[in-house]
Amino acid sequence: MAMLSCKEVLAHVSDYIDEEGSAELRRALEDHISWCRRCRVVFDTTGKALKIVLDVEPFEVPLAVSARLYTRLEKVLSES
Amino acid sequence: MTEYAKFPITGGEDDLALIELVLAGDHRAFEPLVRKHERRVFRVVLAVLGNVEDAEDAMQDTFVKAFRHLDQFRRDSRFTTWLTRIAVNEALQKRQARKNSVSLQESPEVESKSLPGRFEPWTSNPEKLYGKQEIRQLVERAIQALPPIYRETLVLRDIEEMSAEEAAGVLGITVPALKSRLLRARLLLRESLSVHFEERRQLSTRILDSAKQVGNMMRAGLTRSAGR
Repeated sequence: MAMLSCKEVLAHVSDYIDEEGSAELRRALEDHISWCRRCRVVFDTTGKALKIVLDVEPFEVPLAVSARLYTRLEKVLSES
Repeated sequence: MTEYAKFPITGGEDDLALIELVLAGDHRAFEPLVRKHERRVFRVVLAVLGNVEDAEDAMQDTFVKAFRHLDQFRRDSRFTTWLTRIAVNEALQKRQARKNSVSLQESPEVESKSLPGRFEPWTSNPEKLYGKQEIRQLVERAIQALPPIYRETLVLRDIEEMSAEEAAGVLGITVPALKSRLLRARLLLRESLSVHFEERRQLSTRILDSAKQVGNMMRAGLTRSAGR
């Protein structure tokens, strides 16, 4: 596979994280990030960002919002 | 709605057992289904709509609709996918009904903003810099700041962990379109969080790294030229 530019490499960050794409593409990406510090940082920190997002489990349902949901459902269920 | 409070909540098999009970007339069995999926539905409608008030309405309407149409749920798909599809549709309808609706097209401006502009490594232990609650707030703010079409894609794929095919189906877009949005969403999120999680390094170290980068690029170019 021809040498990839940084722009081409960054277009595949998602594929790399999701382990998609051919083995040949993967090798070409790994070759690039082995010597290109900037792309390596982007690959590494994008993966870290997604891990942090999963770890913190964002967006809890506010208690009042949850309470009003159950109140409405109680009514709907009892009428059915 | 407390009779089923101790019903074990685990995988999709429990969903099916509860659905059967509801369809057989035991409406109280709907409660543990709601409890199990409440947060997912809230996150999804919040991602589409962007504010808690609209998300609350959409979440209520989602569960009411799911209850009333439960007999239309087909056992060959996952209940979570079916429910998420209802949630997304409810939220999209509300979004479309809004006056002065925000533009949902991918704009050149957003495309250029999603190109990486920060290239410093992140600290290996963000927990040392921030408390867990603080990190969660930073993440929530970063996700809320994403344009809606990127936010909803990121939430379905990277928080609710739907497959690309499932997420594309739920959003009514093609898989390539979903992947394109997901790439931008992830890069924008990374950019936004970089501000908080980058290593604080000295200017001299940064200059040294830049010099190394130029050297590496030249070496890689020369190696390939020699190999041709």
